[in-house]
Amino acid sequence: MKNSLKLVLAVVLCVFLAGVAGFADEYILGIGFTIFMYIALAQSWVVLSGLTGYISLGHVVFFGSGAYVFILIWGLVPVWLGVFCSGIVVGLVSLIVGYPVLRVRGPYFVILSFGLAELVKNLVLINEARMYVSMRPVFGAPALYQLYTAMLLLAIIATGLTYWIRRSRFGAGLRSIREDEEAAETIGVPVAKLKLLAFAISGVIPAMVGAIFIMRSGIFQSGDAFTPIVSFTMVTMAIIGGSDDAPGPFLGVVFLVLLQELLWVNWPEVYMIILGILLLGFVLFIPNGIYGWLSEKYFGNKKNVT
Amino acid sequence: MLLEINDIHKKFGGLVALQGINFSVGYGETLGLMGANGAGKTTLFSLIAGHQEPTLGSIIFEGQKINRMRPDQISALGIARTYQIVRPFRGLSVLENVTTGALYGAHKIRSIKNASKFSREILEDVELKDRAEDLAGSLTLAGFKRLELAKALATGPKIILLDEVMAGLTPREVNEAISIIETCKRKYNLTVVVIEHVMKALMRMCERIVVLHHGEMIAEGTPGQISEDSVVIKAYLGEQN
Amino acid sequence: MDSLLSPQLLAAAMITGVLYALISLGLNLVYGTMRLLNVAHGDLVMIGAYVAFIAFSLLNIGPLVSMFGAALICGFLGWLSYKCVFQRLLSNGQLLSRLEENSLLLFFALSVIIQNLAILFFSADRRGYEYLSAIVEIGDVRLTGARLTVLIVGAVISAAVVFFLRFSLFGLAMNALIQNRDASAIVGINVDRVQMSSLIFGFGITGLAGALISMMEPISPVMGFPYTMSAFVIIILGGLGNLWGGFLAGLLLGVLEVYGVALTGPEWRSVLVYGIFVLILIFRPQGLLGSGKTAR
Ligand SMILES: Nc1ncnc2c1ncn2[C@@H]1O[C@H](COP(=O)(O)OP(=O)(O)OP(=O)(O)O)[C@@H](O)[C@H]1O
Ligand SMILES: [Mg+2]
Repeated sequence: MKNSLKLVLAVVLCVFLAGVAGFADEYILGIGFTIFMYIALAQSWVVLSGLTGYISLGHVVFFGSGAYVFILIWGLVPVWLGVFCSGIVVGLVSLIVGYPVLRVRGPYFVILSFGLAELVKNLVLINEARMYVSMRPVFGAPALYQLYTAMLLLAIIATGLTYWIRRSRFGAGLRSIREDEEAAETIGVPVAKLKLLAFAISGVIPAMVGAIFIMRSGIFQSGDAFTPIVSFTMVTMAIIGGSDDAPGPFLGVVFLVLLQELLWVNWPEVYMIILGILLLGFVLFIPNGIYGWLSEKYFGNKKNVT
Repeated sequence: MLLEINDIHKKFGGLVALQGINFSVGYGETLGLMGANGAGKTTLFSLIAGHQEPTLGSIIFEGQKINRMRPDQISALGIARTYQIVRPFRGLSVLENVTTGALYGAHKIRSIKNASKFSREILEDVELKDRAEDLAGSLTLAGFKRLELAKALATGPKIILLDEVMAGLTPREVNEAISIIETCKRKYNLTVVVIEHVMKALMRMCERIVVLHHGEMIAEGTPGQISEDSVVIKAYLGEQN
Repeated sequence: MDSLLSPQLLAAAMITGVLYALISLGLNLVYGTMRLLNVAHGDLVMIGAYVAFIAFSLLNIGPLVSMFGAALICGFLGWLSYKCVFQRLLSNGQLLSRLEENSLLLFFALSVIIQNLAILFFSADRRGYEYLSAIVEIGDVRLTGARLTVLIVGAVISAAVVFFLRFSLFGLAMNALIQNRDASAIVGINVDRVQMSSLIFGFGITGLAGALISMMEPISPVMGFPYTMSAFVIIILGGLGNLWGGFLAGLLLGVLEVYGVALTGPEWRSVLVYGIFVLILIFRPQGLLGSGKTAR
């Protein structure tokens, strides 16, 4: 009963948000686009880092790679097929790359994720320099309301996916990996397989987000597409919101995007500083995030330690 | 035979932790494993459960050689172990700890709902039902030991390897633990191998006992035989002097 | 091939190596004693560099003097961050269970804060100053006076630090803590004090290295990041928490980098560093020089 009510509310909200695309102005659509983008990103991050505890500080690598694949096939295939393909390609590649990478555990994985993103970024930079392109414009991208709708769709899929995984057998396995990988294996959890799957799943949507993002910005530039700021924002959003379940990142994103909207254009540095202070404060004082804190305080739920 | 240990050797660099271990465990048996600190008991469990590979020798479970398999594959065959130094999933609830075992072990109960139901039943068996919704990290030592047992049981094993599940408990808790193990054994039709320093408990529970000393197997027999075995007595007294 | 063996290149490798050794020592101390992964480490280099820059351009104080000021200021920041952030982290059971990951996030946050504060104050422009820019010739080697000074001063400071850590009471206590923190507490070492001192000391020498770097390279608020990466490569190469291994690895990376770039081209520098970094982490997280044990 309560669950179906939630579902109805969610559907109504989604239909409303989709309907907004029809008449809202550029500004509203722009904010909506950014919110959905970060929801999709942060939810994807949670699948890997929130659930398995393999904290990725380089998630922008998926975003940037998706954008790069997309720009390389731009004009060769229909736009939306291109978006889809970039997700698939990045997902498949991460299945291969993930295998050695995920054998690295704990803090080593965290710094590795960061280094890996920088490595890929620099390889793309060199490759671009060789082809004598410093930036690639995207001509003839779909209109903003279409991009808005596409991003909304990705946000919905990502949220649904996190929500579902969190409550599934798969998610139970992932969370046991987070708590104690060896003990998980002892009770039958095929840890290597599950980690790899989580890694790939958590890369596919960011890749598609990256593809859509460059249609919005109208340009692909490797330095921007792989900027660590995206990784950082993603992590902060998920941690501020509470990174163990779908509602967490949702809260974090809405809060931060509004902050970003207020500050980014005129005071980007102040925005980043506030972001940093928030991350500090949350890790130290509210490690379970807004969602964890709320549900502990008001529902007496013991949320899980991340 | 359910489980056969054939000429097992294990070296850690220069240290010989186990050498030439040979014994087998029959269906439905309760076998005790004793030996002083550092005798190699835990190491033997790690080899059986697939956490380490033997340097030499083979381990056969229901006719199948298992000492090259991963721990999760071995768990799926129906071998469960507990940890001497407990390893609960501290950030998950007690119930979730057990449910994970039910979802992934030999049982492979696919739906969360059924797995939870089964897990609650097990929590009742190990007398942790009241704590089902609490964070596992909040349990006491006796609670942790029972949770280890519950997680192992949830995987639906044929054989269960218990590593000092009674160490550090009060005499009353030891008695409770013994009766829990015996009840579960009957109920789930288990074969049990138990490592224990609490001699009395071992004598009470086991039909047969294997004694390890500095990595070697120095005796095997019924509790009565073992308590009178001169080699065992010498090894134990020798340790104390 | 001939040019690869040139003393010129060797000198360049030595300069980079000495600086790397110094910088990574700070990172390693902080990791070794507290298991904190300082991803803001390079930002201390940046702070040190700006201190020297300001001292030179506003107060007319040379970097060889102001580098001690840079060390003091960074040391102060170490104290501040210990008091405000890490003391709490290290004494909270729940946070402690994932200490390394949490410390990484905290330092990440600090890094963002420091960099953006620097941009606010100094703008994102690159800056530099002229100091000892005349060319000095020693045999076949032609160096600017600044680079030669960096080499000499860097080597002297490194040696001093090594001796200090080896023979002073503080150095011994720090080493004890790195080897075994529980035992250190039992034998009466004030763990809290030593931890705080290592943070101050580790930050301080990094700031000093930053001042040296400002003598030969343009500086900017985001200059620290590559140093963070290099320092991580080094301490992983040398084995996390292994001070001597790290020191050698610092020299080694200097050589690898300078020669690698000479062989390929400057645009490959980052790829080279990150490539080594990724490969090492995947294949030998315990480090090239470390033993079989990992610090997991
Ligand atoms: N991973 C390992 N690496 C190196 N040596 C090990 C390792 N595991 C165990 N050992 C050594 O092997 C020997 C046997 O250890 P084991 O833990 O099996 O003993 P045990 O019989 O379980 O003792 P206890 O009664 O104390 O639990 C010990 O000397 C121990 O130090
Ligand atoms: Mg043992």
